[in-house]
Amino acid sequence: MKNSSRMNTLLVCVFIVLVTVLIAETLMVKVQTTHLRKEPKFYASTIAMLKAGEVVEKISAANGWYQVRTTTGIVGWLHSSAVQTGKFDLAAMDKPLTTKATADEIALAGKGFNKKVEENYKSKHSEANFAGVDRMLKIKVSQSQLLKFLKDGKLGIYGGRP
Amino acid sequence: MRTQRKFQIWACALLIFGLMSCATLEQQIDAISPVKVSDAEAAVKVGKTLRDSFADINEEEEYYIGRAVSALILSKYSVYNNKALTQYINTVGQAVVVHSDRPEIYAGYHFLILDTNEVNALAAPGGFVFITKGLLKRCKDEEVIAAILAHEVGHVAAKHGLQSIKKSRLVDAFTIIGQEATQRYGPQELAQLTSIFEDVLADIVENLIERGYDRKYEYEADKLGVKVSANTGFNPTGLVDFLQTMVDDYAGQSGKGWFKTHPSAKDRMDRVQKQIQGLKSIPEVQSVRTSRFKGAIQSLK
Repeated sequence: MKNSSRMNTLLVCVFIVLVTVLIAETLMVKVQTTHLRKEPKFYASTIAMLKAGEVVEKISAANGWYQVRTTTGIVGWLHSSAVQTGKFDLAAMDKPLTTKATADEIALAGKGFNKKVEENYKSKHSEANFAGVDRMLKIKVSQSQLLKFLKDGKLGIYGGRP
Repeated sequence: MRTQRKFQIWACALLIFGLMSCATLEQQIDAISPVKVSDAEAAVKVGKTLRDSFADINEEEEYYIGRAVSALILSKYSVYNNKALTQYINTVGQAVVVHSDRPEIYAGYHFLILDTNEVNALAAPGGFVFITKGLLKRCKDEEVIAAILAHEVGHVAAKHGLQSIKKSRLVDAFTIIGQEATQRYGPQELAQLTSIFEDVLADIVENLIERGYDRKYEYEADKLGVKVSANTGFNPTGLVDFLQTMVDDYAGQSGKGWFKTHPSAKDRMDRVQKQIQGLKSIPEVQSVRTSRFKGAIQSLK
């Protein structure tokens, strides 16, 4: 009787694990870096930073945001424009990117219009002002500056907008 | 006996589940297994079937295209060096970005002022937005700047720049990328791809600076400009006032910057006005915003 109960428990566990692995939807970060937020809004505090290529498990969705679980078990919200949906290997979530991307993605990883193409282009086009672009990329607006700006200007949630 | 029966039931359940999952598993295994293509022909097939239009350009590629387009813009125009005003413009820009349909982009959105009295605003793919000193001088308040930046963010979000690329170039590029999927670029492939990259940039720069986007893209960006600036809490009526100044000055400025690359301001004004009338609620102009705009803009020379 005891053995039968143990067997049942074991089989239930195996069943749950299989269902979880096969049914869980996964998402991959497609932007350089993104904020994992406490709530589904840009005003919410950041609980972790995620980088391009990181895979997370989707838990739920609401108003353009996904509630996700990271490989380290942190649960938070990512905006849908920061991730791509697809079939990513959940079992390989803690392994390097090359083992968790799809075959097609591996085939195209690091290909296309990339840094190498830019360098080759740059060597033939000295007139192109890439130094100016790099300076432009350094302009930052911090989260606190943005929130103060919105609050002072009665904008966004501070102006009664959703 | 009972235990054995239970075991059989569970085994059957697992077997049925396993069989049901086979198709999914097969697809997943196919998707996650390491690259199996072993010859160029198969790899070309992968490249061709995977991507064939502007919508298939990934975030990183869009970023590198945008960087190069911006580098060309910055070779034609000088930057207006005014740290405080640039920071202000970037803050207004970020306020509309977080209320837009595409708030996250590969390296984020960045805004820069160009040192020219020509009236113009340009948005390169990848979130690089340029606004001229001449255009800023025409803005009467923060609502107008916000609507114009939201219009430019709309161009980026809707990938209008990428849609300027001739399809044949993308097909050529994706074929090369596919061919080289299983190996590193050889010098010949890199040269070919760089040559296509040059043509891609020429397509976009021509539309941005010389010809202007197709009218339908400008109307779409206007719609997004009104929607997003209103969503942020700005009064979008400022855009109508701005367009009115463009209508008034059209005769004198024809053939330069915005006047050359944008459809008739009168036509746009009518459309914008109609859209605003259809909004559920129109945010009020707040004096605190107008004051800080005046403070920021007073250093503009």
